[in-house]
Amino acid sequence: MKAMNRRKLIKVSAVLAAVSLAVTAVPAQAAVGVSSREIKLGMTLPMTGTASLGYNKIPGAAKAYFDYLNKNGGINGRKVKLIVKDDRYVPTEAVAKTNELILKDKVMALLAPLGTANVKAVAASVNPARRGVPVLFINTGFSGFAEKKKYPTTYTVLPSYVMEAKIMGEYIKDNFAGKKIGLLYQDDDFGTDALAGFKTAGVNFAVKVAYASGSQGAAAAAGWITKFKAAEADVVILFGVSSATSAMLGVAAQLKYAPQWMLGSVGGDATTIKLTGVPAGVLYNAIGFSPVPATTDMKDEYVKFFSDIYAKAVPGSTFDLNVLLGMNTAFMTAQALQAAGRNPTRKSLMAAIDSKGASFANSALVPAGYSKTSHVGLTGYWVGKYSPTGDLSPIGGTYVTYTTDSGSGAVVKSTYVRPAMPAKGLPN
Amino acid sequence: MHKKQSRDIFLFILGGVVLFFLSGMVDELRVYQGATIAIYVIAISSIILLTGYSGQVSLGHGALMAVGAYAAAVTRIEFKLPIILCFVVAVLLAAIGGALLGAAAARLSGPYLAGTTLALAIGLPSLANQFTVLGGEQGLLFDVGFPPLSLGEEFTQYKWFFWIAGLAALISMWIIKNILGSRYGRTWRAIRGNEVAAQLSGINIARSKILAFTISAGIAGLAGALLSMTIGTVSPSAFPLALSFSLLAGAVLSGLTTLGGAMIGAVVLVAIPEIADVVAHRVGSSERVTTNLPGFLVSALLILTVLFVPNGPVEQHRARKAKHLALKK
Repeated sequence: MKAMNRRKLIKVSAVLAAVSLAVTAVPAQAAVGVSSREIKLGMTLPMTGTASLGYNKIPGAAKAYFDYLNKNGGINGRKVKLIVKDDRYVPTEAVAKTNELILKDKVMALLAPLGTANVKAVAASVNPARRGVPVLFINTGFSGFAEKKKYPTTYTVLPSYVMEAKIMGEYIKDNFAGKKIGLLYQDDDFGTDALAGFKTAGVNFAVKVAYASGSQGAAAAAGWITKFKAAEADVVILFGVSSATSAMLGVAAQLKYAPQWMLGSVGGDATTIKLTGVPAGVLYNAIGFSPVPATTDMKDEYVKFFSDIYAKAVPGSTFDLNVLLGMNTAFMTAQALQAAGRNPTRKSLMAAIDSKGASFANSALVPAGYSKTSHVGLTGYWVGKYSPTGDLSPIGGTYVTYTTDSGSGAVVKSTYVRPAMPAKGLPN
Repeated sequence: MHKKQSRDIFLFILGGVVLFFLSGMVDELRVYQGATIAIYVIAISSIILLTGYSGQVSLGHGALMAVGAYAAAVTRIEFKLPIILCFVVAVLLAAIGGALLGAAAARLSGPYLAGTTLALAIGLPSLANQFTVLGGEQGLLFDVGFPPLSLGEEFTQYKWFFWIAGLAALISMWIIKNILGSRYGRTWRAIRGNEVAAQLSGINIARSKILAFTISAGIAGLAGALLSMTIGTVSPSAFPLALSFSLLAGAVLSGLTTLGGAMIGAVVLVAIPEIADVVAHRVGSSERVTTNLPGFLVSALLILTVLFVPNGPVEQHRARKAKHLALKK
């Protein structure tokens, strides 16, 4: 009898032990990158090297907002920690650093990786999709990343190059009908996206000039100008990177060649152009496009709020488009984390963006397209003109925004009303 | 000699077995880094063969790696050949590239050769932008496929890469070691020592130099194909000038005349960024310091190596041992 009791006792205690193990194992399986005190996010982008110009301000900008958020209670008491690694704009490095972020630092999600080739290499090698790691708000406008089947955990934020070309095409139809249009574009997927957009918009070009990435410089620009002059182009669209824009505008100013310039948003950031040694004055009167308000528009509550925080966090650094976009990304991330529940996981974070992402407060003046079936971010632009100091401001003083998709959808004037800034700029 | 050879075979096989077990014991990040080290070992040994043995400088090995990488990827995509054949094509095409370059290089020496190969490193990868079949700036996907199911469900992609790269490294080290010990290796050393004397001994200098370039390029091509395997894509930006320079730095750190030292250079190249990261975070320094520390550390190591162990640590150790033995006698 005694022996029997002992056996029973052993059995019961074994069951109890197993149950208690199973119970205690639940917190041990807590979400990756989320502890009781902090949430870890990771970012790779060029911090050194030629490609880092301008972009290396993005991490500082994002951190400035996260620091502000952390000082004001964080996300449900957890502080947001952003780990930044330099990939020098080299895919091999991007893969190595992303591996470190996921496997060693065990971040919850990747934030704002930059460059199409890098994002592609990371998707192929590290395969965040297979690991279930969210890749939030990538810094490239290549339309292919919005393909949800191929990149199920990736979320875009910048409007795609196709959307931009379509909106440019619509603006040309409305304002430059009958004029001769010239186009300078990059001879790769960046340019292919642009050509697809212009084709959908039905733009007929008098002249198209392609350049190979890396070939842009003053000598090449002189050659481009000859072609545009020969075709007597009235409007010249520069749909390239900043170095191509600055080479073109710099040489054109010297040669006194002055058509109506129209700049794509990638190559139209005045701060980056100034960094290449060309005065911002060459931008004067060019037409430009942006999804977020002018960075000098202090009447805009978001711009004012972000620039105040940034000035305190990084004194002496200019508040430019890269900073605004970096802070906007951090701002949206904070709302996604807040919406992901009291104990956020990778899955609940993505579900939160799918269900509520389209209504997140953020500085953009155009709607975002997040839904259960779409990971497309911002979907449009407003049109502006550059001032003599290189600042883009809306034509006629009010923002007129256009919205469209990356397919054959029409370009329409947007009636989107931006959500008001949440109290104290904190997610609620 | 025969006995030595069978001992070497045994050592290589033992190395393989150790790596095999090691890959099962460490975490995924270390396995990935192990694959990178194996690839650097191959690339560095191609430079050791070229520079340390035949005495020709190349600042453009990154470009030859790119040739191999694109060759493998295009073969895979267009012809859907098994991965091993893609690597063979990579080696062959890079070797042909190397032979062409070698033909020009045989007429050049010193700074002129360095300049020519440098131009190649800058120009060649961006050529890919000109041909749509090469995928432009964003490059091509290079998918070697999932590991065979027989290895189990838990077998990760990176472990598969590590096995492929580790095996390739062992085999190529074995081949290089034998080439260097053969008549060709001796010929190259003779040329490096004194070209005129070598010529007087009946060595065809130009042909020997071209051969060295061809073999070295073939090996670099293999390294390139393996590198793009680990990142799953091939694009011009994966083969920047900095890659050629860091390989050369790795070769100098390894000791330009010791093949066995390639491991040291490879480990240093992979470990430095991580060490720098740890140091920077412990000290709690600013972002600017963190991002520039790896470059600074490699440069500092390079200067120290050239100053104190110009022939590399392995060679230095050997010389000290020989001196010690001679004194004893």
